[in-house]
Amino acid sequence: MARLLQIFGFLSVLFRGATLSFQSLTIGGIVFLNFVARRANSQSEAINQTCLRWIRRAAVALAVMQLAYILASTLILMQSADMTLSDVSGANFVLAGILAIASALTIAALAGARATKSHAVMLPPAALILLSSVMTSHAMARLDYRLLLAIVTALHQGATATWLGGLFYLLIAIPCSPDNHFARQLIARFSKLALISVAVLAAAGFTLGLAYVGSLDAIYGTSYGIMVATKVVLFGTLLLLGALNFQIAHSPSGGGVIASLKRFGEAEIGIGITVILTAASLTSLPPAVDLRTYRVSPQEISARLMPQLPRLASPGIQDLPEDIYAAEVKAFDAGTLSSASFVPGQAGTRPNTPAEKSWSEYNHHWAGLIVVAIGLLAFLAQTKYFPWARNWPLLFLGLSLFLFLRSDPETWPLGPNGFWVTLQDPEVLLHRIFALLVIALAIFEWRVQTGRVATQRARLIFPALVAVASALLLTHSHSLGNIKEEVLAELSHAPLAVLGIVAGWSRWLELRLPAENKVHDKMAWLWPTCLVLIGLLLLNYREM
Amino acid sequence: MRPGQRILLAVWSFAAVAMLLMVCSAGAHAILLESSPSIHSSVAGPTIPITLRFNVRIDATRSRLTLVKPDASTQSLAIGKDAPADTLASQAQGLPPGDYRIRWQVLASDGHITRGEIPFQVTRP
Repeated sequence: MARLLQIFGFLSVLFRGATLSFQSLTIGGIVFLNFVARRANSQSEAINQTCLRWIRRAAVALAVMQLAYILASTLILMQSADMTLSDVSGANFVLAGILAIASALTIAALAGARATKSHAVMLPPAALILLSSVMTSHAMARLDYRLLLAIVTALHQGATATWLGGLFYLLIAIPCSPDNHFARQLIARFSKLALISVAVLAAAGFTLGLAYVGSLDAIYGTSYGIMVATKVVLFGTLLLLGALNFQIAHSPSGGGVIASLKRFGEAEIGIGITVILTAASLTSLPPAVDLRTYRVSPQEISARLMPQLPRLASPGIQDLPEDIYAAEVKAFDAGTLSSASFVPGQAGTRPNTPAEKSWSEYNHHWAGLIVVAIGLLAFLAQTKYFPWARNWPLLFLGLSLFLFLRSDPETWPLGPNGFWVTLQDPEVLLHRIFALLVIALAIFEWRVQTGRVATQRARLIFPALVAVASALLLTHSHSLGNIKEEVLAELSHAPLAVLGIVAGWSRWLELRLPAENKVHDKMAWLWPTCLVLIGLLLLNYREM
Repeated sequence: MRPGQRILLAVWSFAAVAMLLMVCSAGAHAILLESSPSIHSSVAGPTIPITLRFNVRIDATRSRLTLVKPDASTQSLAIGKDAPADTLASQAQGLPPGDYRIRWQVLASDGHITRGEIPFQVTRP
């Protein structure tokens, strides 16, 4: 139970992210069947069956995630507030969860029933899933305009599911289409639905932004505002991909067009899931409008972002606090923590010492130098005149070793805390996983670049890992108390994450798009550019 | 494996890995806006009215207030039923001078659990 308590914050975001993803796939599939594949005939039976199979799987996964969330939250409440099961059973999140589970299982049963003639019977339970999701959204806890915000939230989530969830079903329907003409019809119908969804999504998002962010200074001055701004930028990227798809869908020619559309669709779904995960992370942050103190001013931002020479000399390890865990517990007991609110298992935050800040800046700046070098070599490799530059992925091995040694100085091998003990700390675990990801990335991409691996799957590992690591940055370290330092750190992490996502998916598109597509060549230059920019941003990262 | 399955497998794997990595995104969004007694304040005893106002609606039935006394013993505080939707109200009686803490745990209407502490000092009336 103590371990469950320790990771409760993590679990709640994990379940929320998974729930939103599976909810989008379930609802998106039902909308797709009813409004895009609606004129399906006996020729398109394969499309129906494939879509129904994936709707059933997504609905079951949604029910499992909801059940896990209810169980974890119920156990936490029973343990931390000394309640009985019957005390907890009437809570709003339990009722919402049960509604979602019942609706999802109903959909799974309907999708599996061969006797079902019409797909419209799945629409009411899909609406109930949306209702249950709204019941555990920010809207339900607000003091003012509760009903209006609940309706807008439902529209926002419904439009997301229709667009991104539906897009997935379009991608699996195209290969099942009896002929090219039929596939083009599906694409044309989905384009119209996607256009409407995007308009609803944008309007609802704008309204929610007004309600939860409230002012311009809250956009750059709070963690919530920065995350919303990042979501908007990613939404813009999705719109760009959607526009390219729309253009392709309405162009005259055949085979290569559908191939391009599928590839853009893959990137769109990947970035869409990142946006959904960002949204899940947002639900665990206090809305910016509620945080009136500790907002960061434009002067503080410009002072922090003003370019300076990188810090290439590190403070000694003896200058760091001996044991940061002990220091945090001590600060918590003394009531001197900077956060008055925290989730179960989290002790609050302790301001970093100057030595810790210097240590972190040194880490970021050396990492920046390595990433700039990687980006420049990748650029040279793309020109084909410098074949030796194709070995650029090996530089990632140096980066991984550097991160492993320096990211957590209080742990093995530099610090007194043993390797296994500190893996229980979520932040250390995160850094260790990150170091492993970088090693995997280095090996696979080096083999790809030097021609040792030619399979398409291996070539996609680099872009996928870059995209995953960037999604990780978007969900990295939030503070309930909205400490200024936390906001300033997120202000520098958010552009890094966006550039990483663009780098990952542009490399993906370079590998996947047909060579005759005009965008293909642009993608080949976009991702090395993003890598160089990421390195430059890291070189200017500062904590004081 | 069919093309659709491959795509979905890739997409879900991506989502699973990304979510697995969100280890540091702990949080919930019910935050304490103001309290009486306020953090690190001094109040005259022995009877202390207690109110905690949050930024969102609170499920008061499933929220808890605990008083930590100077000798580290604890006492559950009964939560009043008539407070506004965003407020927990209670009262502590018979408190001699000393350093106290109010431990609070709230369940927001959206299902998020948050907790915190309010250290304060009781002085002679």
